[in-house]
Amino acid sequence: MSEKKIHEDQKYVDGLLNNNSFIIQAIYDTFVPKVVNYIKQNSGNADQAQDIIQDTIVTIYNQAKEKGLKLTCPFDAYFFLLCKRKWLNELKKKNNKEVTINEEVLSKDDDAQELAFETSLFGEKQALFNEMFSKLGTACKDLIKATFKIKSMEEVAKSLGVTYAYARKKKSLCIGQLTKLVQESPKFNQLNY
Amino acid sequence: MEEQDYIQFDNYISGELSAEESLDFENRLDSDEAFAQSFRVFADATIFLQNSIRNEAETNAFKTNLKNISNGHFNTTETVATKPQKSKVFRVGKLAMAASVALFIGVFLFNQLSNPTYSDFNTHEPMTIVRGNVKDLIEATKAFNNKEYAKANTLLKTVLENDPENSELQLYYAITNIELDNFEVADTALNKIITGESAYKNRALWYSALSRLKQKNIEAAIVLLKQITEEADDYKEAQKLLDKLE
Repeated sequence: MSEKKIHEDQKYVDGLLNNNSFIIQAIYDTFVPKVVNYIKQNSGNADQAQDIIQDTIVTIYNQAKEKGLKLTCPFDAYFFLLCKRKWLNELKKKNNKEVTINEEVLSKDDDAQELAFETSLFGEKQALFNEMFSKLGTACKDLIKATFKIKSMEEVAKSLGVTYAYARKKKSLCIGQLTKLVQESPKFNQLNY
Repeated sequence: MEEQDYIQFDNYISGELSAEESLDFENRLDSDEAFAQSFRVFADATIFLQNSIRNEAETNAFKTNLKNISNGHFNTTETVATKPQKSKVFRVGKLAMAASVALFIGVFLFNQLSNPTYSDFNTHEPMTIVRGNVKDLIEATKAFNNKEYAKANTLLKTVLENDPENSELQLYYAITNIELDNFEVADTALNKIITGESAYKNRALWYSALSRLKQKNIEAAIVLLKQITEEADDYKEAQKLLDKLE
């Protein structure tokens, strides 16, 4: 565990976590215009910028919730790098042809680079888990949903009309199936597992 | 991986393997990279499912709020075509609002007037699994976040034996001790963080104060609270508590 000092901008991450409208508004007022400019200067428009920004904020929120994201750099640099990375990926996806990018070096902050990299990796993992979860059979999906909603496995078994032992085993195997689907995806190799 | 492997992954994460089985499992994690990789994906899948399913409503509320603010910012909201009609419904709404404001003030006053106790403030930030060494930590984390402090306490103690200088773990270990009323152990561990140089100094001060509050040593709590600096995450809470104590 690193002993890096947590940056005071952690308040933005905490604010997202608490669904604090003032903080969300402050992020839009303070940090979003720069991202919009960047996207507009690099073959994008305002609508596309809006989507990229919204997705990025949701990823930060999820990472904070799941992994207790701790900011060790200014939010500004971190957020900008994240949105930029997402936009470049989007461009690559859309047109396979080379795109010219105005490479404006805004941050050489190593912490920000590292943290933005971790968050985008986290986002890619989430997207893949999500995609593969939707490919599971209905029985697996229902069992998994019940398992994580209802805490006691006995109740899960009861609600689905199966035995405890069966529910317990099936849950492991369904998560196993999800694991397998994720590992077999062509996107898996880019996920640093 | 075989079916049996997935069952074992799940049992390991849920802490259902015997000591001997756990050891065998961990040895295999160290020696068999394919097995270890599948386990990492399985563990991530579990956390992903846990978060996305259990917190679904909360996440949706967040997304809706975010979308509204985003639309406001980009001015893409449809122009307000329908003016709200003044109707009974509207008046009922107003009344409901007034009632909820009154309730809010009531709750607020009640909170202000009642004596603060440790349990008013013991909402801990969730522990998060530390990168790298997943072994005992997964279980400790799960136990802590499930408020099974006795179990988390034992596990954290073991983990700390191998990593005694880890301030974050020390902090969580101290919190479990406060929860279990082992104040002496808690206060010693917290003191060590307070006098050190880690990022958890302020948080340790906050928990030291909470520990004193739980021991009903109000004076000591006040002294500690006053040392929490303005940039600390817990500063606001600390001020709130100070106001009530002084």
